[in-house]
Amino acid sequence: MRVNYNWLTEWVDIDLEPYDLADMLDHLGIEVEELDITANDAIFTLEITPNRPDLISVQGLAREIAAKTDKKLKKVIDYQIPEEHAQNKEFALAVTTESKEDCARYIASIIHEIEIRPSPPIISERLEKCGIRSINNIIDITNYVLLEVGHPLHAFDYNKIGKEIIVRRAKNGETIKTLEGEEKELTNLDIVIADNKKPIAIAGVIGGEESGVSETSRTIVLESAYFNPTLVRYTSKRLKLSTESSYRFERKADIGMLKNSSAYAIYLLKEYANGKLVGKVIDTNPSPYIHKEVPFSYEKVNRLLGKDVKKEEVDRIFNKLSLQKRGNDNHPKILIPSFRRDIEIMEDLAEEIGRFIGYDNIEATFGYRSENPISLEGKEILAVKKIMPSLGFYEAMNIPFIECSWAEIQDKNPIELKNPLWSDKSILRTTLLPSLISSIKRNLNRGEERVAIFEVGRIFTLDDGEEEMIAATLAGEIPPNWYEEKHPIDFYDLKGIVVTLLEKLNIQEYKFSGCKDSLFKEERALSLLINTETIGCFGLLSQDVCKVDIYGVEFNLQKLLSGSAERIKFGGTYRYPPVKRDLSIVIDEGKPYEDFKNAIKDAVVNDVQIELIDIYKNSSVGKNKKSLTFRLELYHPEKTLTDEEIEKDMENVIKKLSKLGAHLRK
Amino acid sequence: MKLNELEKNAKKEIEQSVCFDELEKVRIRYLGRKCELTRILHSIGDLPMEERPKFGRVVNKLKNELEGLIEKKKRALEKSKTLPWADLSLPGRRPFIGNLHPLTILYQEIINVFIEMGFSIVFGPEIETEYYNFTALNTPPDHPARDMQDTFYLKDGRLLRTQTSPVQIRTLEKHAPPLRIISPGRCYRVDTFDPLHSPAFMQIEGLWVDRDVSMADLFGTLKIFTRKIFGEETIIEFLPSYFPFTEPSVDLWIQCPFCRGIGCAVCKKKGRIETLGCGMVHPNILKNMGYPKFTGFAFGIGLERIAMIKYNINDMRLFYQNDLKFLRQFNESKL
Repeated sequence: MRVNYNWLTEWVDIDLEPYDLADMLDHLGIEVEELDITANDAIFTLEITPNRPDLISVQGLAREIAAKTDKKLKKVIDYQIPEEHAQNKEFALAVTTESKEDCARYIASIIHEIEIRPSPPIISERLEKCGIRSINNIIDITNYVLLEVGHPLHAFDYNKIGKEIIVRRAKNGETIKTLEGEEKELTNLDIVIADNKKPIAIAGVIGGEESGVSETSRTIVLESAYFNPTLVRYTSKRLKLSTESSYRFERKADIGMLKNSSAYAIYLLKEYANGKLVGKVIDTNPSPYIHKEVPFSYEKVNRLLGKDVKKEEVDRIFNKLSLQKRGNDNHPKILIPSFRRDIEIMEDLAEEIGRFIGYDNIEATFGYRSENPISLEGKEILAVKKIMPSLGFYEAMNIPFIECSWAEIQDKNPIELKNPLWSDKSILRTTLLPSLISSIKRNLNRGEERVAIFEVGRIFTLDDGEEEMIAATLAGEIPPNWYEEKHPIDFYDLKGIVVTLLEKLNIQEYKFSGCKDSLFKEERALSLLINTETIGCFGLLSQDVCKVDIYGVEFNLQKLLSGSAERIKFGGTYRYPPVKRDLSIVIDEGKPYEDFKNAIKDAVVNDVQIELIDIYKNSSVGKNKKSLTFRLELYHPEKTLTDEEIEKDMENVIKKLSKLGAHLRK
Repeated sequence: MKLNELEKNAKKEIEQSVCFDELEKVRIRYLGRKCELTRILHSIGDLPMEERPKFGRVVNKLKNELEGLIEKKKRALEKSKTLPWADLSLPGRRPFIGNLHPLTILYQEIINVFIEMGFSIVFGPEIETEYYNFTALNTPPDHPARDMQDTFYLKDGRLLRTQTSPVQIRTLEKHAPPLRIISPGRCYRVDTFDPLHSPAFMQIEGLWVDRDVSMADLFGTLKIFTRKIFGEETIIEFLPSYFPFTEPSVDLWIQCPFCRGIGCAVCKKKGRIETLGCGMVHPNILKNMGYPKFTGFAFGIGLERIAMIKYNINDMRLFYQNDLKFLRQFNESKL
């Protein structure tokens, strides 16, 4: 809400400059969002927390300032409805409230002979400063009372409504044209003010257009009522109609201010519109509020605050806040005024003490009392994350909403949002890849040559719920430099990364197999299996979804980590130097390298490391043939291998390879 | 050969060596296994008993001296060795190494602070029910406080958690207090994607429930947190606030790091910046969970907000755009 400094000073003497007042309000929990200092005034934009409806008014703020600065309020709204007024049969009106739950009290007054004209500056200027447009003296006065006292009022044109006011639930399908000129359809969860024919206002939210005050109005009905906060909120939300009135009602406006607000408005209407009260003021429930008592304990509150606040200090604070103490000091009860219905339990009173002594005055402590039984989750996720940068990847984070077409491609059952923020991204992600693909493209478009990013996060499907995944994407080219020419990133760059990741995670038992995932290009992708369970796929992403060459990987993180060996096993060191032998073979072009590598491994008796150091295709090798050159490093843990032993191994290797159709290259 | 003659020759040869090979040959000749000096040392048996120790000392001394001279000569040779000129100003061959996301870096830093303070880390689902996200947290339907957390609903009636507090309820269902936990994770609110808001964000919530936990304990815990994260000299303040699940409720503000409290555009001339919300767990929650005799405090840290303050980032969207020019700037050596 917005409020101006000068209006506040009419209520309470303020010795503080606007900036200092703002600071004080902040310290009371009334956050000043903006302070606009003008020539001879200052306008405060305040963020009032939902528990303090009393502060949405000049009166309430003044009360709080007075309490904090030890001042007395200069102004009190205590107008009496004039006893002496014309009883005139001509102005008949009956009011019925169907339910006290819906409308605890309804006060209706008829004001006659009003003169519609612009408001005097004292009213219009204050309204404008507080962000409400000045319309005419009648409407302005209801708004003025709303701002100053905090209670919403409404004015009907007496001649445009039937002589009966009924506060009831709307019938399903009933409609009303509001003051804003919009036709609204109502349900039986909306409270309406109706005459004998139809709704004339949506209770606590907005008036009807037809029954509203206009230039021609001469007689008005002034409404001061209390409507059920929950229902007002429900209606306001459903109709997407948030008004100054609904804002206050849904937060529980001060039910104790109904009569005073009426009387104050009647006074102002006489003063500024020459209006005269006629007929009997109708009041459906003259004493609706029973003061609540909250049990209190000095000792318990001090224990909660962690500070020994003296009894006298507490009493002084309560006194300033109009919180009256009842009963003896051992079992006191605190009487809560109607404007502080947010105070319901002792902890609420503790907060009042905390606010007024200032939390700065509570000395911070830290100490253990008990052992803590639960453990640390998420360690493994961090461990995996930490490996990725060393493999060249930057960590990305994405908002987990994606287009539903992705789930269709994947043939997964997505979880749909009822109220998506972006209408095209209406499902929770079923894969991390789409957002990473977008990020890759964004970076490539911005001139990055090589982009490698990864993300760890959850995916969501109806079948499997929430699953923690790791995905990475890689695209572009290794840029040229003085020691190497540029070259595009390909499948083997990614495969090397995947294998290194597996190694760093201490995953030894795994297999690669063909990839059937439709997000990937089958001919350039593999799936990873651990214990026959598919962990995910890696390879070239399908062209139809990417348009550029992007390599990607996505693994289920929990399943991946399940393959991680429990303990590190130390296998000893080799004290004796290995013997290196290179071996070039010629094979059919379409045969996989791995078959030959495995054959070598099987054929060698000693320990061996096998590296592929060259692939060669040329007419000298033969048509549809290729040559592979392996480098074998042969070891023995306890001795240096002799030439004989090595030759024996190599003979075995050549025998085995020739069985597979390979022959040695000359 | 006499010992002094040997000494003279050896020193001369060491001195005159011009390369490593030559020096090595000298070393082998005089100090190797089959060298002159060893032979002399072995001849010690020919001497009378009383002369033997003295002789041994002299020979060993010479051996040590020669070894020293050889080392020295080696260093001298190394120094005088020259290599062809190379342009050392050329850039080096650099491996590709990435970075963790700034939010992960900060996440770890924060988590470590709380682990040191003895908190456990607990995770929970991002898809939640009305009960865990609101009702159990003292926020019934149609409570105006729900405006503070505009919620994403799923078509099946469930919702995306607006805070990680549901994890606190789930933990209290399984573990009786006393306990202290941190529940980190992603949360969602219907907010436009703009410099100050994001529909998805990271939260780290804390909960400490024990007998007679007080606001002083809350302040103490968060004081340690802010000092570790923002620096020892950080000035903090607790101002009253409101949350339906805490009573009393407070906001922690830190002195504006950009103007040091003088007042600037970032802090809207307040000199302080709102950093996180916290308070004493509302007694209704503990009562409903079956622990009316306990008290506790809770706090909620918005990771993006802390990162924006700590790293001086003025647009929250940067965290979710994955621009390499942004991500490259977050090198962190302290993890």
